[in-house]
Amino acid sequence: MKLLIIGFGFIGKNLANTIQQKIDLVKRFDKDFKITGVSDSEGYLIDQEGLDLEKLSRINRTSDYSGRFLEGASSLELIETSGADIMVEATPTNIKDGEPGLTHIRTALMSGIHVVTANKGPLVVAFQDLEKLAKARGCELRYEGTVAGAMPVFSLVNECLQGDEIVKISGILNGTTNFILSKMYFEETSFEIALKEAQERGITEKDPTYDVAGIDAACKVVILANAIMDRNVKLEDVETVGIRGITSEAVSLAKRSNFAIKLIGTIDRVLEVAPRLVPINHPLCVHGTLNALHFETDLAKELTLVGYGAGKETVSAILNDVISILKRRTEST
Amino acid sequence: MKFDLTLALVDRPGQLLRALEPIANNGGNIISIIHEREKTAGTYVPVSLVADFPTYENYRKAKEDLENMGINVIKSEEVIERANITAILIGKLDFRGIVKTKIEGLRIVDFEVSAPTSKEACVKLNIEVPLELIDEAMKELKKISREENAILVTSM
Repeated sequence: MKLLIIGFGFIGKNLANTIQQKIDLVKRFDKDFKITGVSDSEGYLIDQEGLDLEKLSRINRTSDYSGRFLEGASSLELIETSGADIMVEATPTNIKDGEPGLTHIRTALMSGIHVVTANKGPLVVAFQDLEKLAKARGCELRYEGTVAGAMPVFSLVNECLQGDEIVKISGILNGTTNFILSKMYFEETSFEIALKEAQERGITEKDPTYDVAGIDAACKVVILANAIMDRNVKLEDVETVGIRGITSEAVSLAKRSNFAIKLIGTIDRVLEVAPRLVPINHPLCVHGTLNALHFETDLAKELTLVGYGAGKETVSAILNDVISILKRRTEST
Repeated sequence: MKFDLTLALVDRPGQLLRALEPIANNGGNIISIIHEREKTAGTYVPVSLVADFPTYENYRKAKEDLENMGINVIKSEEVIERANITAILIGKLDFRGIVKTKIEGLRIVDFEVSAPTSKEACVKLNIEVPLELIDEAMKELKKISREENAILVTSM
């Protein structure tokens, strides 16, 4: 099968590197597997025989790859003309209109290309539409990397809890805010100092609003609600409060009563992201940049997943999605 | 609806069975029964039982039937299951207003204030509330936090 990587930023590059390192493992599922196209904002690379993985793993921009670079050519053109089987969408998240990822995914599905997305934006904006389109075109749409990074959230529910009804999901869905709140908890620092350290360590963007105002966590609540709880909700349906106003006094007061303050996303009757008091012996009380998700179901009762929600670890989820498609498609032929 | 009933039964075989009939006939599901033999008074033995009735009317009718049968109902009260909520409010607050908050059945068990004079003041409340009033209590806490322009952090 032929794979496209759309977006050659942090995730796109790490995916290419990982595939290069694990090509023998990937080829066990499909001996003809190759990456035939990669795009970024400058143009795209295409080679129907398969791009050189060694060369691909050494470059930072598509224009650095000699020979196969089409300057100024669009990702959309690559998707429409490449004849690829799988597309990984890894362009930056845009939660306003989902673009350009949304058009990339729609175009790929319309062209019969299976989609793996690490980009939350299109799912936040148009989850139901994209699911319907994928179904109508007989394509797979997989998105494990969009919520809680490396944690196998959708795989767990879709593969291991098929007979369960998920009653409630709650969890820490943003590593940056967990880092800040953990710092405040253990070192009794102010919010501002903890945020500054998060910025210095590159854990958050220069403008941290997306993380600290709870928007990123709210996006994940929308995806979880739509994908797992069969809802049809949008970002504005999530009641969202961030952590900017949490003071060190409040953290200490909570700590004295054996609670830690964590930014928790909740999906049950209500959809909510808010700072909550989590008992220190609760499985969701994890620290640092860790994410955690707690499921309440009718049969299994309670299950908790803990892992890294962002960074290089996310490639694990993306690669698993790609391999799942390879496995299923090669098994069915 | 769960009710705690204490009946004064004559200490004779078959009396308990007789007393349970009107409860069962009115849809009551017996959850527990305790024979309080150590509290026997003359020929009477107090029997405490907790029964779950579909409605208040079913409970009222069962109690009436028991009394009509000559069974003395010494005590009867609704069993209210309660939940604990811990909440922290952050911001410049009117503590007296918060403590006076009135929700029927809501009880502030204790509260602790930190840095009361600063704009980063916070108050921690431990609240006990009947289980079915949790949503109402949460709404009230959210209303207070909006009115006080404070941040609300509640326990999971």
